[in-house]
Amino acid sequence: MRIFGRFAPYVLKTLWRHRARTMLTVGGAAVAMFVFCFVGSVQEGLRRLTSDEDSQRTLIVFQENRFCPTSSRLPQDYARRIHNLPGVVDVMPVQVWTNNCRASLDIIVFNGAPPQQLRQARDLTLTEGNWSDFESRRDAAIVGRNVAQRRRLKTGDQFSIGEMSVKVAGVFASAVPAEENLIYTSLDYLQYSRGQELVGLVTQLEVKLAESADPDEVARNIDATLKSGPVATTTRRKGAFQTSTLSDLVDLIDFAHWLGYACLALVLSLVATTTVMSVQDRIQEHAVLQTLGVRPGRVFRLVLAESMLLCMLGGFLGTALALSALAVGGMAIGAEGVTIAFRPSAQLALLGMVVSCGVGIVAGFLPAIQAARTPIVTALRQA
Amino acid sequence: MALVEIRNLTKRFRKGDEVITPLEGVDLDVEPGDFISLMGPSGTGKSTLLNLVSGIDRPDSGTITVEGVEITKLSRGQLADWRSANLGYIFQTHNLVPVLTAYENVELPALLLPISAAERRKRVELALEAVGLTDRADHYPRQLSGGQEQRVGIARAIVAHPTVVVADEPTGSLDASTSEQIQVLLKRLNTELKITMLMVTHDPQVASIASRRLHLDRGQFIEADRPAAHAVTGA
Repeated sequence: MRIFGRFAPYVLKTLWRHRARTMLTVGGAAVAMFVFCFVGSVQEGLRRLTSDEDSQRTLIVFQENRFCPTSSRLPQDYARRIHNLPGVVDVMPVQVWTNNCRASLDIIVFNGAPPQQLRQARDLTLTEGNWSDFESRRDAAIVGRNVAQRRRLKTGDQFSIGEMSVKVAGVFASAVPAEENLIYTSLDYLQYSRGQELVGLVTQLEVKLAESADPDEVARNIDATLKSGPVATTTRRKGAFQTSTLSDLVDLIDFAHWLGYACLALVLSLVATTTVMSVQDRIQEHAVLQTLGVRPGRVFRLVLAESMLLCMLGGFLGTALALSALAVGGMAIGAEGVTIAFRPSAQLALLGMVVSCGVGIVAGFLPAIQAARTPIVTALRQA
Repeated sequence: MALVEIRNLTKRFRKGDEVITPLEGVDLDVEPGDFISLMGPSGTGKSTLLNLVSGIDRPDSGTITVEGVEITKLSRGQLADWRSANLGYIFQTHNLVPVLTAYENVELPALLLPISAAERRKRVELALEAVGLTDRADHYPRQLSGGQEQRVGIARAIVAHPTVVVADEPTGSLDASTSEQIQVLLKRLNTELKITMLMVTHDPQVASIASRRLHLDRGQFIEADRPAAHAVTGA
């Protein structure tokens, strides 16, 4: 390894000798890794949304056979009846309003809930503004960090969309990235808004379960209890509810992972081509190195190091650009009031670098074998 | 015991359906401090012999022993290690690594030796001094003349303090005046540093600087200054 370190200037200078080729390869690899990380962040967002602990231990009660939040109307009184069932710790009524029920990259979703209950149920941290302003005004809202970033909102602003017009009382960050795409108002505000006619009605009920409760059993119990009520319900775990709501997007996102693999194949072929060209240009040089006493295995590793460096440099640039874009852009995709946040993460950064390194090894393997195995005398004759 | 012992060495090449045998049953002893020039018509196996002694090619039969090590028995990796410690190779076309400076080119073989960075630096500086290129240490091959490039190649061949240095037409690509400078340098390295050398050349004048001049013809060495009866080997 120490000897290999001594050859580092040789590897770096070799790449620098053909800088145009090196930069084009690194650039191509960076673009492909940018797309790979972007696709990865969407998949990661979906996975987080549907499989974290909160999504498995919380139930969503929705009107039976309804999908868009505008069409689900449950009596608010259901909350009291559900609260009395075994295994239920708390029930939060939520009124949802969205500007777009279809898939959109700039979806605005209002969730109205009793402020005190919201504060207890959600892990929200105000990055600006304060809770008392939110709690004291009916038309006050706290805005998720991503929405604030996307719509350039700050505390004190008046934000209007459609029939809604709220005063921004604060901006919040959340441990659950998808939450940062929401705007929270009081339940009253959404129920009493002009044209809504939703007094006494809510879109859904969010049920917190006791540690020992079996979510599926409680869900069955809720639906059975409310079957005799004015509106029948469908109760599911939050994760299952979100997967079902986003089903069209889930199919698209599942398909998108092929796009990620295509990007890897692109990097592989790009770096492999560059490395093959580099090795073929330097068959004689590698023979000279071996004549001087460099072992074939070391020639193999030198070529592999070149290909790994190209890949990792491109991977680093692409991953860094993707993570920066994700951090700054505050992007999200949503449908029917549920959003998937595109967020940078350490896991994604690590994945980007590990994948780049792996692709570099695969791309350089055959050219490295060629460089190490070419007979020295034959190679020396190739002037 | 000779420094290099070549016994019954045979090398064949296949060219289409034809089998060419440039070396067949060749014997040769090289003593420490020898400066041997190998001459002979093209295709008689001079460079082939050099490549075999260097361990970059393998014979079909026979043995080569250098300082007691039978190199014909070594694996490819072992041969590489042996070359780094025991062999200096001077190429006809210099074959410097274009991305490295003169200093870095000379340093290459020393990087493979188990010596400290300070010792390595000392050796490189001495080698460059020996070939008179201390002031060109930071120059890249493209910034050097053909003669200077060859001197860097010579410094690279001696930096590891090898047991034997082989030179394949070291003046073949140089003009007359530069060739003469290189000849003087090679002679000086042999006489002053006692470096054992084996050199292939077509030029009788270059061959004349060697202490032993061998002529290779149809697989047989003939000492240039001795009658044919004292042939070194018989094929």
